[in-house]
Amino acid sequence: MSGRDGGRLPAIVRRVLEPFVDRSVAERVLISLAAILLSIGVGFAIVLVSGRIAQCSTAAWTMPVTGLGFCYDPIEVYVVLFNGALGYPFAVGEPGIFNAAWTPFNLSFGLTLSETTLLVFTGLSVAVAFRAGLFNIGTQGQLVVGALATALTVLAIAPLLPAGPIAGVVVVAVGTLAGAVGGGLWGAIPGALKAYADANEVITTIMLNFVAANVAYVLVLEVFRAEGSSVVATRYVPEYAQFRPWLFPNSSDFALLALLVAVGFIGGLYYAVEHTPFGYDLRTSGVQAAAAEYGGVNAKLTTVRAMTLSGALGGVGGAVWVLMSEGRWIESVPDLGFDGITVSILAGNNPLGVLPAAFLFGLLKGGALEIGFRTDVPTELVGVLRGLIILFVAMPEFFRMAGRYAGLGSDGPGGPGTSGTGGEDGESEASGDAAGSGSDAAAVGGGEADA
Amino acid sequence: MRNPLADVPVPLLDDLIDDEYVRSLVVGVVGTLGLLGLFGLLFPGSVAGDLAGIVFSTSTAASTARLAAPIVLAGLGGIFAEKSGVINIGLEGLLIISAFASVYVASVVGIGNAVLGIPAIWIGFMAGIAASTLLAGVFGVVCIEFKADQIIAGLAVWLIALGLAPFMSTVFFGGVNTPNLGANVGWRYSAVMVVVATVASWWALNRTAFGKHLEASGENPKALDTVGVSVSRVRYAGVLLSGVLSGVGGSALALSIGQFVGSGETMVQGKGFIAIVAYLFGNYNPLGTLGAGVLFAGLDAIQIRLQQLGYAVPDTLVQTIPYVVVIVVLALVGRTRLPAAAGDHYETEE
Repeated sequence: MSGRDGGRLPAIVRRVLEPFVDRSVAERVLISLAAILLSIGVGFAIVLVSGRIAQCSTAAWTMPVTGLGFCYDPIEVYVVLFNGALGYPFAVGEPGIFNAAWTPFNLSFGLTLSETTLLVFTGLSVAVAFRAGLFNIGTQGQLVVGALATALTVLAIAPLLPAGPIAGVVVVAVGTLAGAVGGGLWGAIPGALKAYADANEVITTIMLNFVAANVAYVLVLEVFRAEGSSVVATRYVPEYAQFRPWLFPNSSDFALLALLVAVGFIGGLYYAVEHTPFGYDLRTSGVQAAAAEYGGVNAKLTTVRAMTLSGALGGVGGAVWVLMSEGRWIESVPDLGFDGITVSILAGNNPLGVLPAAFLFGLLKGGALEIGFRTDVPTELVGVLRGLIILFVAMPEFFRMAGRYAGLGSDGPGGPGTSGTGGEDGESEASGDAAGSGSDAAAVGGGEADA
Repeated sequence: MRNPLADVPVPLLDDLIDDEYVRSLVVGVVGTLGLLGLFGLLFPGSVAGDLAGIVFSTSTAASTARLAAPIVLAGLGGIFAEKSGVINIGLEGLLIISAFASVYVASVVGIGNAVLGIPAIWIGFMAGIAASTLLAGVFGVVCIEFKADQIIAGLAVWLIALGLAPFMSTVFFGGVNTPNLGANVGWRYSAVMVVVATVASWWALNRTAFGKHLEASGENPKALDTVGVSVSRVRYAGVLLSGVLSGVGGSALALSIGQFVGSGETMVQGKGFIAIVAYLFGNYNPLGTLGAGVLFAGLDAIQIRLQQLGYAVPDTLVQTIPYVVVIVVLALVGRTRLPAAAGDHYETEE
């Protein structure tokens, strides 16, 4: 790898950034795609194996040739996962390819897009920190704090204004700002600890996640709990102070406006990181802190500012979660922050890559619900896929080796874009071969995927 | 900053620990406990009295031993991996997978049955170790063979285990929590394992050639390569040992109550990350790690007892104390030095 011996930058910065900065965009995209396919392959194997071990009265799927029965149908799982997440645009088991009754404004697709919107914010949050050489695992906690700040602010100011669309705009704007401030302050803590006490941000942010969840829970339980509520939650914010679902069904909790705001954030952040002085400070202190200091960048302050911005983005994610999805703060906060890490890593920490990556995970989340409805396979499968995707994206060298083995030339899968499908096939074969030499369970699955 | 405690002479410790930082840690903890005991004896009715009563009670000792096992053992494993140059942030995942595997296998064998004269619960125990070692092996291959980013791969190990254990639990038992086995491993076993593993690790790291190789692999891999020792091999050994030790810790955690709880963050609840802080706090010294692990576990045990005594603080807030302490500790001793080559891939020169 080039740049390995390029100076004495802190090990952690080099380690985190190197895989993402040195490589061409095309290669990154290919590696991400290959990682997704390989994860799906391993997931296939896991479903197959657990379907063999689980007990059921009738087999859901029988393997051709061998005649072995399995409790879970691995093909059906993926068909339901991706088709279901879009609201079944493709007809399965019926004549025709497309389902005539399908419209894009259906419930399942709305849920998928709702998840996508939230993941854009958390993905951006993690990506910004990454660009500054910081690994923010605390987006989850920043989202929890931001969400609570939004809910409490909106509940406090809504009665002061006359109900109506104009008041709605004001309340939503102020509420979102409150979320950003709350999340930003919570994110500034590990930033300051990193800058001025040299405390590893990976550990402090993980610990602060636990602290945020517990403190927010106690605050709502003891002080802000809605009267007569059976769960630990605040009161609902007024209808007019929420993002309204246009076109999509009400129960999908998806507002097109929020997605547009999210896309706006992507553009704004891309500009801020690439084309502003602050972005320059951020990137240089991420790539090489010592050199940045010589160049006049205040690296400590940049660390705090990057973490604050990252936390603020997580907080906005929390605000949107309250104002679009739940309408209140409720104790069961979904794992949006953790999924944001996956989104960011899959996106190569590039704001522009966050949208497709978030959409993929939106699909997985929306599809998980369908898996729960229509199959017996536990929905936790999606959690496993998330981990596998991160694992494979982390090892680009594996795909390069596989690419070389498959004879794609010495530059690995970064070769001609047209060879996409062929390249992936080659990789799976190569990984099957690798299984012979080691106990790499992942590689075995890669071989299975083509079977 | 000069540490005033470093000069306190403690003859027995001086022979055992050459590290003045760890020595002052031990003296500090013993001193604090001594003061607390003294105040407790002098003012039995006060908060200090209650606290001393809790700290020095058998039930607190028992639950401290139970809670310390995963932290100390995973921390010891983390030392081996990190000394060899591979930062293993996936200890949490290793604990989760071994906790589940131990309970699963024990229930498949069936409590009351035995294989080759070994009771089911101990078969489960070994299965937990095997599962954790296997996952650590995958992590090792990914990091050493395929030059993966260690932090991201470690995170992936955690997330895979976090998804896989509840998934498997739902497949086999129909829910993310397994049913209780109705049998458990007593806390005394946990305590013995912790002490034995600590002493053995200390001996391996400080008194054997393997310990020297580990050190060199993390500090100066090229030198190790030059004298003809394979850096990859030493690193695999370090990573696999972290799997074995975390496996013991995870199995001990789950089997000490006879159940795997897979909801939310699972029953491991960040103990793998606290383990990382424990060995950083202990400055890569097994005895320091033991001290830090017992300290964190003790805080956890004390908060459980405090709740039972009915101090009017919400449970959830008290549960937060160990996490806050970890942050404070990390901020105060944040400047521990990583092995020079930790996190870097080493390319063997032909």
